[in-house]
Amino acid sequence: SRWKDSLKERIHLGKNKNLKQLIYGKSELKSTSSIDDAQGSSEDEESDEGEFFKPKGESNKNVREDFDGDNVNNDDCSRFSNHFDVTNWIEEEKYERIRDRFVTGDWSKAGRSGQDSD
Amino acid sequence: MEKKTYKKLKGSQSFRLRLLLSTLTSTPVLIEDIRADDTWPGLRSHEISFLRLLETITDGCNVEINETGTKLKYKPGIVMGGKNLVHDCGVNRAIGYFLEPLLVLGLFGKKPLSIRLKGITNDPKDPSVDTFRLATLPILKRFDVQEGLDLKVESRGAAPNGGGEVLLSVPIVRDGLKAVMWKDVGMVKRIRGVTFSARVSVQFENSMRHAARGIFNRLLPDVHIFTDHKAGALSGKSPGYGISLVAETTSGCFLSADTAVSYGQRVEEGVFNDEDKNELTPPEEVGEHIASLLLGEIEQGGVVDSTHQGLLFLLCALCPRDVSKVRVGKLSPYGIESLRQIKEFLGIEFEIKPDPSTGTVNLICVGYGFTNLARKIS
Repeated sequence: SRWKDSLKERIHLGKNKNLKQLIYGKSELKSTSSIDDAQGSSEDEESDEGEFFKPKGESNKNVREDFDGDNVNNDDCSRFSNHFDVTNWIEEEKYERIRDRFVTGDWSKAGRSGQDSD
Repeated sequence: MEKKTYKKLKGSQSFRLRLLLSTLTSTPVLIEDIRADDTWPGLRSHEISFLRLLETITDGCNVEINETGTKLKYKPGIVMGGKNLVHDCGVNRAIGYFLEPLLVLGLFGKKPLSIRLKGITNDPKDPSVDTFRLATLPILKRFDVQEGLDLKVESRGAAPNGGGEVLLSVPIVRDGLKAVMWKDVGMVKRIRGVTFSARVSVQFENSMRHAARGIFNRLLPDVHIFTDHKAGALSGKSPGYGISLVAETTSGCFLSADTAVSYGQRVEEGVFNDEDKNELTPPEEVGEHIASLLLGEIEQGGVVDSTHQGLLFLLCALCPRDVSKVRVGKLSPYGIESLRQIKEFLGIEFEIKPDPSTGTVNLICVGYGFTNLARKIS
């Protein structure tokens, strides 16, 4: 229905703004949920045990910190291996998701730039 | 002694990119708090090695490091380039770590650069030398880098002892780069790749190729994975095997994925190596894994893969005062870090627009107007 459409649009607009602010730093917007959207975040794992004795080196290994740029000693490495889950592509339906990204796929669909990826 | 003020920075993050931008913009930098809280504080040996490399290819640069290595003063010189240079990259990081900044620096030198790099050619952390040859160099060609760009792999070297050698040639740009309008990803038309094995049976390569092909079979017939088996002196000092794959699209995009397996659990300073035995991934799994990773990169829908985002943004920013438009998949942490450093040094902010329908991100920027100041005007 129509009222939902305008809502959706506004959400998208908000997201656009946030992405740029996330990158170029507007600290008051750090708590937005789009951080978790953008990277399948992996905090909460070092939650309960051993808080008291925490080796100094260990605290650096947090994806969240990477993203926020809080840690000034991040590893200087261009590769990001857990960028997406390595899905098991051997299953048939997984193939179909990217079938039209190949020349063997449907060219007319690809012309509309891969709308089936979402 | 210098009248120039130092740009003050903190920490070891984006070390290469900072020094690269510092050199290109002739901005002296003072980096403090380099791993100040670590068990082993200060610069790592690969970072020192990178500083040595900068000294090799530039003229008049000045490096000062304090006793603990937590503070670095760097006054950049002029990029000279030159022929028959040699640099030992050490065995802390792979050659890929050094190639990434070197490629860009070489473009803005006084003379074309030709340098021999020694060290680890393939490892799981940095892009392999094959990836550079197959995917990175074509990206530079997009930005109108003329002939003379080449990377020759002369011998392989796996972790931990390395022993590999590559020969890199980078031409200089005369009138700067050319801005790109690069948003069409196209469709994957062929997949190419290289496997390597050094000091192990060639059968490892066959297994990796076979497994990788099995993944692609249902999608594309045009898959060729070449083998590169090295023996004797050309195989370096440590046994290892690995695979690099590149997907080429109809619009000339190159997406890559690679890894290598070796016994090399390199003992980095500061990291205590308690597991004395690490299990090696069998070659079938390696092949399947990298093939899957490549499909993942294709699914992202960017004109470059996640590894090359930083390079792409940097090249866009170094273009003449012209608009560049590119499309990438999800922004990688390194890509984001690159955007920040570009803003820090060049003052360029990208216009960033996510495209929710495809899950991609469009980036638009106006170049810095960078021309090659070092080159000789004849």
